[in-house]
Amino acid sequence: MAIDSLVLGAGQQVGKSCVVVSMNGKRIMFDCGMDMAYHDHRRYPDFSRISNSGDFDSALTCIVVTHFHLDHIGALPYFTEVCGYSGPIYMTYPTKALAPLMLEDYRKVMVERRGEEEQFTSEHIVECMKKVIAVDLKQTVHVDKDLQIRAYYAGHVLGAAMFYAKVGDTAMVYTGDYNMTPDRHLGAAQIDRLQLDLLISESTYATTIRDSKYGREREFLKAVHKCVAGGGKVLIPTFALGRAQELCILLEDYWERMNLKIPIYFSSGLTMQANMYYKMLISWTSQKVKETYSTHNAFDFKHVLNFDRSMIAAPGPCVLFATPGWLSGGFSLEVFKQWAPSEMNLVTLPGYCAAGTIGHKLMSGKPTKIDLDKNTQLDVRCQIHQLSFSPHTDAKGIMDLVKFLSPKHVILVHGEKPKMATLKGRIHSELGIPCDDPANNETVSISSAHYVKARASDTFIHSSLNPNFKFSKSISEDESGSCLTNRRFMPQLQVTDERTAEGILIEEKNKKAKILHQDELLLMLGEKKHEVGFAYCCPINVSSLEETKSTSDNVLCTSESSDRCSWLQLLNNKLSGQISGGNIQDFGEHLQVESFDISVCLNDRCPYRIIDSQNKSEAVFFCCTWSVSDEKLAWKIISIMENFDCESH
Amino acid sequence: MEELVPSSSEPLSPQTLASFRSLIINPSTPQSKISSIFETLTRSLQLTPDSLVLNLLSELASRHSNLSHLVFDSVRSHSLLSSESTRLAAESLDALASISNTEPTLSSAIDELDDRLFVSLCFGPSVSVRSWLLRNAERFRISPYVLLTLFLGFTKDPYPYVRKIALDGLVGVSKSGMIEDHSMINGCYCRAIELLGDMEDQVRSAAIRAVSAWGLILVASNPETKLYWSDDLFVKLCSMGRDMSMEVRVEAFDALGKINVVSEDILLQTLSKRVLAITKEKRSLGQCPAEQFEILASNVAGVLVHGLEDEFYEVRKSACHSLRTLTIISAEFAGEALNLLMDVLNDDSMFVRLEALETMLHMATYGHLKVQGTHMHMFLGTLLDSNTLIRSATRRILKLVKLPNIELFRLSFDSLIENLEKHPQDEADIFSVLFHTGCNHGKFVVSAINEASEEIDQASEGKLGFDSARVAALLVLAISAPLSHGEHFCSIPPRIFSYAVTLLGRISRALTDIMDQNALLAYLSQCSISTTFSATELNIRRGEPCLPVANIEIPNDSSNEINGSTRTSLHQEKDGASELQSWTMREPLELAAPLGGFQVEVHDEVMKPINLILAKVKDIWSSIHSGFTNEVLRTLRNFKEELATFTSDSVGTIDAVAFTLQYLQVIKQLAKELQILELVLLTCTLRLCKVEICCHFATLKKLSTTVSRVESILKSATIEPTIFISEFVLCGRLDQIKAELTIPDNDSENPLPFVSRLPVGIPCDITLHNTSNENKLWLKMSMDDESTQFVFLDLNLYGSSDKVWNACLRMFCLSKNMGVQNVS
Repeated sequence: MAIDSLVLGAGQQVGKSCVVVSMNGKRIMFDCGMDMAYHDHRRYPDFSRISNSGDFDSALTCIVVTHFHLDHIGALPYFTEVCGYSGPIYMTYPTKALAPLMLEDYRKVMVERRGEEEQFTSEHIVECMKKVIAVDLKQTVHVDKDLQIRAYYAGHVLGAAMFYAKVGDTAMVYTGDYNMTPDRHLGAAQIDRLQLDLLISESTYATTIRDSKYGREREFLKAVHKCVAGGGKVLIPTFALGRAQELCILLEDYWERMNLKIPIYFSSGLTMQANMYYKMLISWTSQKVKETYSTHNAFDFKHVLNFDRSMIAAPGPCVLFATPGWLSGGFSLEVFKQWAPSEMNLVTLPGYCAAGTIGHKLMSGKPTKIDLDKNTQLDVRCQIHQLSFSPHTDAKGIMDLVKFLSPKHVILVHGEKPKMATLKGRIHSELGIPCDDPANNETVSISSAHYVKARASDTFIHSSLNPNFKFSKSISEDESGSCLTNRRFMPQLQVTDERTAEGILIEEKNKKAKILHQDELLLMLGEKKHEVGFAYCCPINVSSLEETKSTSDNVLCTSESSDRCSWLQLLNNKLSGQISGGNIQDFGEHLQVESFDISVCLNDRCPYRIIDSQNKSEAVFFCCTWSVSDEKLAWKIISIMENFDCESH
Repeated sequence: MEELVPSSSEPLSPQTLASFRSLIINPSTPQSKISSIFETLTRSLQLTPDSLVLNLLSELASRHSNLSHLVFDSVRSHSLLSSESTRLAAESLDALASISNTEPTLSSAIDELDDRLFVSLCFGPSVSVRSWLLRNAERFRISPYVLLTLFLGFTKDPYPYVRKIALDGLVGVSKSGMIEDHSMINGCYCRAIELLGDMEDQVRSAAIRAVSAWGLILVASNPETKLYWSDDLFVKLCSMGRDMSMEVRVEAFDALGKINVVSEDILLQTLSKRVLAITKEKRSLGQCPAEQFEILASNVAGVLVHGLEDEFYEVRKSACHSLRTLTIISAEFAGEALNLLMDVLNDDSMFVRLEALETMLHMATYGHLKVQGTHMHMFLGTLLDSNTLIRSATRRILKLVKLPNIELFRLSFDSLIENLEKHPQDEADIFSVLFHTGCNHGKFVVSAINEASEEIDQASEGKLGFDSARVAALLVLAISAPLSHGEHFCSIPPRIFSYAVTLLGRISRALTDIMDQNALLAYLSQCSISTTFSATELNIRRGEPCLPVANIEIPNDSSNEINGSTRTSLHQEKDGASELQSWTMREPLELAAPLGGFQVEVHDEVMKPINLILAKVKDIWSSIHSGFTNEVLRTLRNFKEELATFTSDSVGTIDAVAFTLQYLQVIKQLAKELQILELVLLTCTLRLCKVEICCHFATLKKLSTTVSRVESILKSATIEPTIFISEFVLCGRLDQIKAELTIPDNDSENPLPFVSRLPVGIPCDITLHNTSNENKLWLKMSMDDESTQFVFLDLNLYGSSDKVWNACLRMFCLSKNMGVQNVS
């Protein structure tokens, strides 16, 4: 069995996340995003690779969308309404609620501002959302009788989820975007330790390791406090959802503690609307917000007021949240133009700004003049504070997640190629897990375990109910590098409980596989137990034994049978001196060490003789038999016996 | 009776069993009936073993101890040994164990039950029976090696909760201290480590506990390999700090806080998410094997940072707490950790903020709190916290902190004033902090007071009330200066001290831990007369031969011996100084004392300091004799606080501690009588030399009588208490027998109804601690007119748990004579 992952987007890049995974006959599309950097066909994943005929309904079992960001959901209305996919789509409740807002906002910007050709209409969005089935966290959804999916909390943005998918015995997790450390309003990603064949993880910050958030928060608060204490204005350009709420909670908290009275403004209606969603979807926020919301909803901002355009020029300190986040236009840019020339003011920039935006220009060095367009130039004298808050996990978080889940295979997506390669190497070398970072439109095939359903016999089941553990000591070898030499030989206690391992799998033609207890095998096959035995008739020179015979006083054998036993006695005496630890049992007619059996052979045509008896009349023959398990011991004894000859000559 | 017992051999019906139960629990059922019930039940058990019947039998045994031997035998032969069902056998085992608990004579009988039986029951197919047996294994006195083998084996069980119980069992065995075989300890440790990767959260949590328990034994087993194993354990636990389950993370940080030896480079790595350059260069971590370097380094990297910024306050709190032990290990680590802790003061959970402050206090007591200017803003901010506990915790730290420069001193002072203005209820505590801070920073005080002296003068001239909190605080600060190290007191204008006299009440309330009002008054008046005078006066006192300096050394010594490495930053400054100086120096030590019992686990380690204290008490007597009552009382209080830290769970210590406390109490009473007289003397003298010259004669007379009384006490005291005090060493075990008697439902609002000359029933709850039912116990009741009665308490009649007996008696008192009936 194999899992095939076709990466349609976000392969060695950030944007248009889309991975189609086929396992055990099911085909799931994870995310259906768009790339905002392109305005042609490249903005969408190449859906034709899923099905040439365009019959996506039969080609895909379902679509799973992890969160409402456009690079994860932007192509969905296009795919459903224009390409004609009409199968099930799964996303979490908050994503279903917020996605239409994001899509509609984007459509408006595309069509109304840039005057582009409409890719999908408002009706398309509405129709598309009708196909969506909302799921809750940790709720196992049976897509069909073989495929199960389950959402886990991912942090990142409101409603973001990782998805677990399982077909038969093959299981995998697609993380989407996630955050391994909590922020002020969202919790850290949380998932069970699952048995996974494949983990597909984002890797936006494949090499970055972030410091403690406390320090970053402190820096931010210090900068803001300093600015407003000096009578300045603080401009915080953000997008409506996510960062705005996080920073606002942080400020509210600080305002409360420091008893500050300076107003905090939100510029757009969308942000206020978003706050309302957060208030409703409280169960998707962080532990702290959840714990306290019965007394105080963290999104009920006490100090926050609505901003009016007329207030831009009003005197006095204030803090303003304005959209869009990258100062790429709109209201935030308008305010920036007014406030930038004053040294008292402060602009905080997010950790990432798209190239070409004013935000990006401010981030690269500290320019004193910025060209707004060909004709206008802006004096920038205000302070600039860069926030290094990110809703994405850092490299350490990715490693922590991979280590925790320990999947059999990892695929990295949603990152920059060289950094992903570094992370790939670490996952392989440090965790010993094979890892891939495919480019767009590449398919990664990995094998998964082959499971067979089998009936189990009653005896087998019974035997596995009762504990059956064994202890053994093994000399551990992995400690050889330790500083203390004696520890190298320290025994490691091994505990095994082999009650389930003792079965035997029987696969017969045209019959269902069955597991038997090992005792039942012979009965079932109607066969007798066969054991492999060895035999060798070993000659020993009489004289070499005679020496001992003459010297030993207490051996008194006269008859033939007693003669035989006397040879054995002699042999016993000689052997016991040379076999250390082996316990020789004397049964009169034969000697025994474990399964090794020695008796005097009088049959001249003994089939186990290698040397012709005629030539060796002086020799006494001892017939030896033993079983496979004692082979080493047997050859040791035989070599001792044969050495008697050599010694005497 | 006849109709209750079915004649045929059919199983007993539920109705019959129910009626049996009521007969058994009714104490007035005649013995003959009980016996016949027993027979019926036994017969029934013989024919058809049944858990209901078993229950009844064990109930019967617990209520009728005369039958417990019979019940024990019958359960053993009919139910335990003959039963086919493992469940019933397990229940029988349960019944036998509980019977033998109430009947000590049977405890040997339960020992005779074969380990093999228990083991074979464990190996039965029923999972619930297996887990029950493993959970209760300790009750059946199975040999520790058999138990260990069982628990180890069942860590492989396919059922997660059996694995969890097995791991918990391993922790239990580790506590017994019976396993000494090194390879066995190592085996348990390694097995537990394997289970750190279990699929189930519960099992991983239990595995952490087991790893910690066995790891610590391994660490302690050999001083040569101590650091190696300690590093190994630390790194293993660190790997669990990033688990997805909150419970597991809490467990991991709790366990990290139990380790007290770790290589410094590992510690420092826990504070950085990036692998440190120096670590990368060395390509090794502590004593850990170099070949696993990369994975180990990433396990350790930034674990504590993650813990401190965790989403769940439980984890953050636990991580803060773990820093307490870890910061003792390395000063460099403590410095780095402090940077993080200061940020934690910004945490949104009060519990976490408080924990962070407590950790800082702990660091301060161990001299590892190096405050820098960058910290102060955040740290002093907590003085304005709306939570009282937070504010008071901050102030406790401030008492100990050594401020590097006057700017920080001023900043702290201003913050305290702000605290005082916002929360006037904190006044006493703030004054106390100011006083201590002043003592520690004499030079800063002098310059601060000189700057503010005008302000003080104005306030005092305007209206003598000193309403301004700021001025009052300045006064407190000013009067602390003479007690500081060095000769700064001369620079404080004497008039300041007389201003302070007007606030005597307020100030003395704040300084109750240092001196009482009279001592303060005496001190202030000394200082206020004139600078030169105060200097000579102080010199005179300094020159006195029997100064309490020797006494003051006592707590130092004892706490040092207990804490091992305990050292306070202030302590170090001490040199041959005046008694007044050391007088104030002692405060940090008092603070250090509650933390003194740090990681004292073994009985012996508790007994040692207790004996030390007892020895010191002997020395104290000479001070009582010399009249240094204040010092003695403080020393005694120190000892008490020290003792309070020993109230750990270890069994033998509680009794010894209780005894020593009582002993100290007696000494204190002896010392106190002197103190009161001393105070009378002081007031008389003051009267004489100052105000009331008119009643000169009366005062003189009183003075002379008091002096003679003191003399007589001292004389007598030298003879008697020396015998009492003489060589006193605790060895062996003490048992504290304690009885608590409460009359329920009787308070001032709802008193017990009582009509004179009519009999009255007073129910009372008596709780006896540490009393076995071999003790004969009598209740003595005495009335005002000295009529006394005794009542025998049969402990077998009352329920017990862990040596604590509860009895509920109802006494009927006839106006003078008391009759007693027990109703239970």
